[in-house]
Amino acid sequence: MAQLAFYFDGTRCTGCKTCVFACKDKNNLDVGMAYRRVWEYTGGTTEKGADGTCTTSCFSYYTSVSCNHCDKPICMANCPQGAISKDDETGLMAVDADSCIGCGTCANACPYAAPKVDPETVKAVRCDGCADLVAAGELPACVMACPARALKFGDAEAMAALGERGATAPLPDPAETEPNYFMTPTADARAAGSSEGFIGNPLEVA
Amino acid sequence: MIGLDTALGEITLVLFTTLAPAGAMALLLMGLPILSGRASWAEVRRISTYLCLPLIVAMVGLVASATHLGSPANALYVFAAVGSSPLSNEVLCAVVFLMLGGLYWLYSFHRAPSPRLLRLWIGAIDLAALAFIASVGLAYSARTIISWNLWEVPAAIAANALMGGPLVALAGYAAGRCASLTNRRARHLIALAAIALTANVAVYGLQGVDLGNMGNAVASATDLVPAYGAAVAAFALLGAAGIVVAWRTTRNLPTDGTPPADAGRFRLVGRLCAAAALSLAAIFVMRFCFYLAHLTVGLGV
Repeated sequence: MAQLAFYFDGTRCTGCKTCVFACKDKNNLDVGMAYRRVWEYTGGTTEKGADGTCTTSCFSYYTSVSCNHCDKPICMANCPQGAISKDDETGLMAVDADSCIGCGTCANACPYAAPKVDPETVKAVRCDGCADLVAAGELPACVMACPARALKFGDAEAMAALGERGATAPLPDPAETEPNYFMTPTADARAAGSSEGFIGNPLEVA
Repeated sequence: MIGLDTALGEITLVLFTTLAPAGAMALLLMGLPILSGRASWAEVRRISTYLCLPLIVAMVGLVASATHLGSPANALYVFAAVGSSPLSNEVLCAVVFLMLGGLYWLYSFHRAPSPRLLRLWIGAIDLAALAFIASVGLAYSARTIISWNLWEVPAAIAANALMGGPLVALAGYAAGRCASLTNRRARHLIALAAIALTANVAVYGLQGVDLGNMGNAVASATDLVPAYGAAVAAFALLGAAGIVVAWRTTRNLPTDGTPPADAGRFRLVGRLCAAAALSLAAIFVMRFCFYLAHLTVGLGV
């Protein structure tokens, strides 16, 4: 099996967050903890002209993101414990709970804010690509649950054929970690690093 | 405040990065009379005994840093990533420094310690202290953390050590009634702290300029540390207050290092400890700001 990857179709996503809750349900995550989040990037203004008509430059779109099982995982490079591994067969990232000391270095370094430190166990936790489901020939819970079929999962080459490597705001430049996250952006999408918009749902993704 | 959770969650690391570099530098400075070979044998024994003060300062910092870990018992794995993880390098340097310092201190109580060995050992501790301070400065250099991956970060750690260390060293000399605490040495150490404070204010000023232009999709650095300017002002005031207290306390010290009588000694130690505490409080303020300012490219705050 080769490196696995997510594909996200921004033209299909409605921002319903079913993926988020499917992930929380599968991983039994409590309030305040989510491995997958849907970021709403929004901006623009609406102005009334002298003739009384309104013109708008408003835009808003969603991006569903979890761990992207990067080719250059900075979480793994910086982990002082060597507790983070990348599977040779699938490229999926995992945390060894026994050797993790909960220092939070992975959470601090990840530009996707994917790893977290569980406040109860004080161990790093993250999306593991539903490695157990994948090993059983199934798809990750988020992908199976998406009602708009905006998420796909499979060999990185196949996912790359569907779209480009995620490079739209609010995501970082993919050159940083080479995420295995491919996407078809919406027509409104701004380039990574854009300052035209802002996160429209900060409390949902906190 | 957006980054407050990060900073409060890392409060023990704030304490560690405040105390440990200053303690390491203080130990280095206190040991200089031994390293130079100019101290009398009695003075060598006295300084060696009271090296425990900077050692405790550094040790308290290290213990504080361990308390934020969920499973510190598993921390031995940390040596597996030496070379690849800056944090592992930092822990290795801390362990080497504290082991050398602690064992030196224990050996100094030997009935007849070897003067040559003590001198060589102090030299090794000094090298370990410098490596440790450098490793603390570089521990946060991850390229994705844009607000931490700045040249000002290791520069400020080094300047912090040079600002707090001399005052801790003065307190250590005073506590041990060391003859090395001459008027001249006190002036030199206070001047070093004053130069470091000045350099540090400049470094923090430049860092503030860098942070002012920094942001990601979630927040800007100015959102994260809205009172950065006030924090630098508080840092300068507290740091200057520490230096003034140390200067006023030591300006009338005898030139030959004759220790004061017991009554005067307690006042001397107390005031120099207060001076060191003011300096460390100044460093603490800016270390707290450092963790407040955590910001990655993309989505991390």
